[in-house]
Amino acid sequence: MSLAAFPFLAFFLTLGAVLAVVLDAVARSALAGAPAGRYLAGPLRQAAMRLSGQLVTTEAPDRANWRLAPGWYGALAAAGLAVVPFDEGLALVQLPTSIVLWGAVEALVVVVVFLHGWSPNAPFPLIGAYRYVATGLPVMLPSMFVLIGAALPARSLDVLAIVESQREMWNVVRQPLGLLLLLIVGLSLTLRGPMDYADSADLAGGSSAEDSGPARAMWQAARLAMLVAFSAMAATVFLGGYLGPLLPGPLWLALKTALVLVLMVAATHLLPRMPVSRMVTFLWVVLLPVSFLHLLAAGLVAL
Amino acid sequence: MTDALFTGLSALALYAGWRVFRVDSMVRASFWLMISFIAVGGIGILLSAPYIGVATVFMMAVEMTVMVIFMVMFMMNPAGLNPMMMVHQHRFSIGAGVVAFAGMTAATLLTDLPSNPVAAGKAVVHDLGIELLGDSMLIFETAGVTLLATMVAAVVLSARTGRFGDAVEGSVPPGLEPGGTPAGRVPEKSGGHHHGSHGDGRSDHAHHHEGHDHDGGGHDHAGDKEKHA
Repeated sequence: MSLAAFPFLAFFLTLGAVLAVVLDAVARSALAGAPAGRYLAGPLRQAAMRLSGQLVTTEAPDRANWRLAPGWYGALAAAGLAVVPFDEGLALVQLPTSIVLWGAVEALVVVVVFLHGWSPNAPFPLIGAYRYVATGLPVMLPSMFVLIGAALPARSLDVLAIVESQREMWNVVRQPLGLLLLLIVGLSLTLRGPMDYADSADLAGGSSAEDSGPARAMWQAARLAMLVAFSAMAATVFLGGYLGPLLPGPLWLALKTALVLVLMVAATHLLPRMPVSRMVTFLWVVLLPVSFLHLLAAGLVAL
Repeated sequence: MTDALFTGLSALALYAGWRVFRVDSMVRASFWLMISFIAVGGIGILLSAPYIGVATVFMMAVEMTVMVIFMVMFMMNPAGLNPMMMVHQHRFSIGAGVVAFAGMTAATLLTDLPSNPVAAGKAVVHDLGIELLGDSMLIFETAGVTLLATMVAAVVLSARTGRFGDAVEGSVPPGLEPGGTPAGRVPEKSGGHHHGSHGDGRSDHAHHHEGHDHDGGGHDHAGDKEKHA
């Protein structure tokens, strides 16, 4: 455990979330062909409206889980970011199996999003919750294969060792397919774009359809935090993390995290979403075998 | 510090385990069980078993989610939010609980546990890999195949065309009169033609004064068609 990493963690979460909001606004304005200024003010206005808004409740909800879900989601984002090294040996949580801890965070996200949709005791959130479990669980399997594949060249499950193993060559060069698969996992983790089955517009907001006031603002903030944590993790596992010439390590990691953020935001706004049933078939029939072949190839190369 | 964490995590594991049987919903019970297991996973990390400890957390998260889905599916409690009794066979379970507790306590207290502290720098993950694919391989493979068979069986039972018949069979609403045809919309077998006859009936209704009778006739006609199809 290295407490010196704590300020970096807080810094990444706040600045990254702001950057994500700006990128989302820019993407929206670019797609609409309108000046970005109007879109940049939107999130601020919405945040102010939500934070000053009234907290409306449903009939007989599971109040504890409903109120706690945004907190759990944000806490999972922080826990995931805690295993990311900001510089050589500068990770808040150091474990010989820290990449598995990130895997645990991914799995718990499914639980938290399900609870968030289940607890209001209302149809749209519940449908969102079940749709998310149906797509989120099969996404876990490629995720595990990709993370194990990235750990193979390092011969260690420690994120620190995975970064050090990329001194000569980044993992994205060794396993380009791995980054692509991990980005799909990330879209699912952050409920975005083509993988947004929990909070999508076709369900009037899905799992957060009944959220109102500050609770909804909290949930959105937690989603942004998870986006930052995922981007930092993807940059660490595939883009060499803090490694890089001249500039200090944390700055390199910040730049690479921003790059992954741009990719994620672009995917959110540019890619269409498939119907749930077709996506579930795609996940089991295409993505799972592909990720298994990816792991096989990564293993053969690492040998 | 370690002692405090151990005590705290043990207390959490026990409390969560007790809550499993006190809550009134399968979803709550499953996730309380998950919290109990996460606390045990934390104890695993304290006991210098970082892989088992962390793996417990992610396995239990996935496992409990699957369990929630399957339980809600089989218990016909659509959301899992309807209150329901989570315990039954009270006398038998109290007896079984007392016997199990006494047995495990006796086993813990009477066994001469070996004192074999793990060195700080020991490569536990590496050793676990050797153990899994070394002497104990047959045991783990047997367990793995058994689990796989269980999963396949679960999918077969819950599939659309599973052992208990077509999945839509149980979801057909009862008839409006006893023994009558099911209420609600009947899936159209010969869609285009059926629609055509309805359309004709409507346009006739608009033109004739005795439209009501004619409209009824049109409906009967459509009903006959459905029966024949």
